Amino acid sequence: MGLVKYLKSADLTPWLEELAQENKVFAPRYEGDAVIFAPFDPKQEISIKHAATMPPKKTVFPQSEKLVDFTYSKDPEDLSRVMIEGKEVLPEGTAVVFGGRPCDVRGFTMFDRVYLAEKTTDVYYKARRDNTSFITLACEKPETTCFCHWVGSSPYDATGSDVLATPIEDGYVLESFSPKGQKLLTSKLLENGDRWISKGQEVNENAVESLTDAPDLSRAPQKLLDVFDNMNFWEKAAAKCLSCGACAYLCPSCYCFNITDETTGMKGTRFRSWDNCMSAQFTMEASGHNPRPTKAHRLKNRVGHKFSYYPGIHDGVISCCGCGRCIKSCPVGIDIREIVQEAINHEPAIG
Amino acid sequence: MKFQEELKKCISDVMPELDVVIGWCASFDPLHATPHFMRRKEDIDKLEISPLSVHNLATYLPGLRGKKVGIVVKGCDSRSVVELLQENLIDRKDVTIFGFPCTGVVDQSKIKKALGHTGNVESCEMSDTALVIKMDDKTQTLAMAEMLADKCSSCRYPDAVISDYFAGEKIGNKGEKDVDYAAVEAFEKLSVPERFGYWLKELDRCIRCYACRNACPLCVCRDHCAAESRDPHWLSQENNVRDKLMFQVIHAYHLAGRCTECGECQRACPVDIPVLMFKQKMNQEIREIFQYEAGVDPEATPPLLSFKMEEENITEKVW
Amino acid sequence: MKDKNHYLPEMATINEVIQETHNIMTFRVTFNDPGVMENFTFEPGQVGQISSFGTGEATFVINSPPTRKDYLQFSVMRTGEVTSKLHILKAGDQIGVRAPLGNYFPHEDMKGKDIVFIGGGIGMAPLRPLMLYMLDNRNDYGKITLLYGARSPVDMAFNYELPSWLEREDLDTHLTIDAEYEGWQHTVGLIPNVLLDIAPNPENCMAVTCGPPIMIKFTLQALEKLGFKDEQIVTTLEKRMKCGVGICGRCNIGSSYVCMDGPVFTAAQLKELPNEL
Repeated sequence: MGLVKYLKSADLTPWLEELAQENKVFAPRYEGDAVIFAPFDPKQEISIKHAATMPPKKTVFPQSEKLVDFTYSKDPEDLSRVMIEGKEVLPEGTAVVFGGRPCDVRGFTMFDRVYLAEKTTDVYYKARRDNTSFITLACEKPETTCFCHWVGSSPYDATGSDVLATPIEDGYVLESFSPKGQKLLTSKLLENGDRWISKGQEVNENAVESLTDAPDLSRAPQKLLDVFDNMNFWEKAAAKCLSCGACAYLCPSCYCFNITDETTGMKGTRFRSWDNCMSAQFTMEASGHNPRPTKAHRLKNRVGHKFSYYPGIHDGVISCCGCGRCIKSCPVGIDIREIVQEAINHEPAIG
Repeated sequence: MKFQEELKKCISDVMPELDVVIGWCASFDPLHATPHFMRRKEDIDKLEISPLSVHNLATYLPGLRGKKVGIVVKGCDSRSVVELLQENLIDRKDVTIFGFPCTGVVDQSKIKKALGHTGNVESCEMSDTALVIKMDDKTQTLAMAEMLADKCSSCRYPDAVISDYFAGEKIGNKGEKDVDYAAVEAFEKLSVPERFGYWLKELDRCIRCYACRNACPLCVCRDHCAAESRDPHWLSQENNVRDKLMFQVIHAYHLAGRCTECGECQRACPVDIPVLMFKQKMNQEIREIFQYEAGVDPEATPPLLSFKMEEENITEKVW
Repeated sequence: MKDKNHYLPEMATINEVIQETHNIMTFRVTFNDPGVMENFTFEPGQVGQISSFGTGEATFVINSPPTRKDYLQFSVMRTGEVTSKLHILKAGDQIGVRAPLGNYFPHEDMKGKDIVFIGGGIGMAPLRPLMLYMLDNRNDYGKITLLYGARSPVDMAFNYELPSWLEREDLDTHLTIDAEYEGWQHTVGLIPNVLLDIAPNPENCMAVTCGPPIMIKFTLQALEKLGFKDEQIVTTLEKRMKCGVGICGRCNIGSSYVCMDGPVFTAAQLKELPNEL
C-alpha cells in the first residue's frame, strides 16, 4: 500500500491552488452545459459529482499540436533556390489532472502501449505524459452506461493514476500509486489517512456491488474477426450511424491523428490533430480507392480495433475503457455493448 | 399514444413492398429512444413513438437512395423530407411517408438541468402533461411543457406536411402564422463585441466531430465537406476557435434557404454548443428577402438554388 | 539518451529530375547532411514519407537499391495534392524525407532461388530496388526473370534503363503493352496472359509482383495456375499513411499496420489478414 492521506472537502480548492503554484492543474468544470477538463480557476466551481462530458484526453493528447515549425528562406548565393528549415516544437512544463475517473485515465494506458513503444516512441506524447500526474476519483455509483468491469477495470482501478481519491463523508481518502503520486501528497493540508482506509474501501466495495454482472468478452476478438466479411451484420449495426466523430473524440482511448501542414508566407507549421476512423476521408487514397467506403466498414473497424485488433497486438487487453461516453453522446444512441455481444453470439447461417 | 396501434398496423400492411421502414424504439436507458430500422414484421413490435422520439430520420434517406424506404415522421421531420424532394436528393416514388399527430419531443439538456444528472434513470413514465422519472431511489415529476424542445413550444407544423399514410387525428398546421424569432431578436440586443465574445466562448469547446453536420438531413456532402477540404483550403486542422466559428458560418450559409430548423445540429452536439441560432438567423434573413420558408412545398425551389433576372427585394441598382 | 523524433523529416536536396511518363517523375535526392547520407542504411522494399512542406507528406518506395547509394531515388505518380506539388520541383529544390519505414523484401530467404518479377506500370518502382540489388549480388540468386507491362510504351517508366535490362545476359527481360502500338517491337498482351505464356517454373522460385489492383488480382490467379504456392508470392501494398510508425491508426488491415508489418507481404500473409485491401 502506498502513502495514504485524508483531505477534507473544504480543503480541496486550497489544495488544488497549492498544486497550481508549480504545475498546470486541470479540473472538470462546466462550460455551457458540458463538463470539460479546463485549467483550474479557483473562482470557478469544479464539477466532480459525476463523470465529465469529455475525458481529460486533451491534457496529454491535445486536439491539435505543433510537430514542426518550418521556415523558407532564399539562398543568398542563388535566389531561385529556396531553403527550408524545420524545427521540432516540443511541449514543456508539468501538469496535474484532478477529477478524472478510473476509466478516463485507463485510456492513457492504451495510448502508452502504442505511443511509448520502444522503437517508435512518440516524443511529443512522451514529453507530456512523463510530466503529467493524475489524481483520479474513485466512483461511488455506476451509470446505466458504465461497463468498466466488462473490460478488465473497476470503479476504483488505479491503473495509470498517480493518486486515487475515494470520496467519503466530508472528504477524500487519498492513496498514492507511484513516486509522482507520493510527491503530490506532501501538502500540510493533508492529514494521515490510515484511520479512514476502511471507510474508503467500503465505498469502493459498494460501487463494485452495484454493478450488474459482466458478460464474458474473451471470445470477442475471434468472433469479431469471424464476422469481418459479413457485411450484412455490419450494415445492420451501422444503419443508424451518422459517421460523425463524436464517439471517437469523446473516447478516452481513441488515439488516431492526422498530420497536416499550414503555411502563411515564408513560415509554416506541421500539425498533428485529432482524426477519427469513422470519417469517410480517413482511409481515402489519392487514387480514389477507399478500403472503408461505407459507414458499415468504418464501424466494423472501430469496434474491431477496440475489441479485437488492439487485444490481438497487446496481450488480450481490450482498449475500450467501458466509460460509456460513446453510448451517451452518440446522437443516435449506438450501443457498442450491443454490437460486441451480437458478434459474440452470432452463429453463421447454416446452408 | 393512441395512434401507435394504427401506425403499426399501417406499416405492417405496407412493409412487404418496402426494403426497410425507419422509426424509433427504446434505447440504452428509459430516457432515450433510438432510430429503429424495421425489415421484418417482428421488428414492428418494438416501434415506439413518444416524446423521446427526437431524431430526425430524414437524414438517412439520401444514403438509402435506390431502395424502397418507409419513414415515420414528425411534422418537423416531414419538412426535411420535402426539402430533400425539392432538391432532387431522394425520389418520391421510393419514399413512403408515415405521419402521426406529434405533441412535441423533449430536450434532453433541459431534463438534465432539471434533474442535475441523468446517468441513473431507472424508469420514465410519460403523459401529455408530465414526465415521472425514477432515479437514485427518488421519484421526480417534471412538467412536460417545460421539458419540450424550444421548437416544439412554437411548433407550426405538428402534422406531417406530406405523407402517404397518417395514423391518428391531425392536430392542424398553423403554417406561416405566428413565426417566432424571439431568441434571435433577444440575442441581437447584445452589442456586436458581446455577441462575438459569446460565440468565441461557446465554440471554444468544439471538438470538430461534425456531429452537427452529419445529423443534418440536408448535409449530403458530408463525405466531401468544405471543412475538410485541402483544395480549396478553407479551414485548418488547428484547434483554433476562429476555424470552428468559420465552420459554423460556412455551414449556416450552405443551409440558407434550405434549413427547416429541425434543431438536430444542436441536439447532436456532444458538448452542447447552441449552434442552431446561426441557422435561425439565416432563416430570418431568407424570410425577409425572399418571403420563403424551407420544406413546405415539394414543388418549390429554394431561393438560393433558383435564378431570377430581377429580384423582388434585392435592390442592386437605383435608377 | 534522447529519443529519436520520428516525425521530424530530414532535409534533402533534389539532384536530378527525370520525366518518366506524362504523369510519373523520378527524383534523385541526397540528404543535405553528408553524415546522414553516409550513415543511411535501408533494405530493398522500404519506403519513405516525402514532405512537400506546406502541403503534406506522401509515401513512396525508395526505388534505388542499397548497393547504389550515390542518391536515393523516388518515383512519383501525380495523383493528388502532394504529388502535384512534388511534380513542380526542380533540381536544387528541397524536400523532407522520413525514411526508412516499413519492412522489406525477404531477400535473405530468396537466396539460391529463381526469381520472377512481374510489374505493371508504376508497380515497377518497388520492384526495381530489389531487382537491382539482386543483380548487384548476382551469384546469390538463380535465374532472374522480369515481366514488365504497361498500357503503352509512353506509360512505361524507366524507359532509359530498359535497353540495358534487355541486353543483360543474367536477366531474362520480357516487356509487354496492352494493345498494338506503332513501332513497338516486343510482346503485346495483358500481363497475366503473357505470364502464362512465359510459364516460369515454380520449383524453387519466388514471384515478386506489384501493380494496379486489377493487374495483381489476375496475376495472382495466373501464378496459382502455374503452380506457385502462396508462400512463394510476394507483393507490396499501398495505403493512405500519415505517421509511418504504426501510431496514428490509419493504415491497418485488422491488427496489421501496413507501415510497420508491411508494406511487403507474401500472398500467404495476405490470406491471413481480414479482407480489407
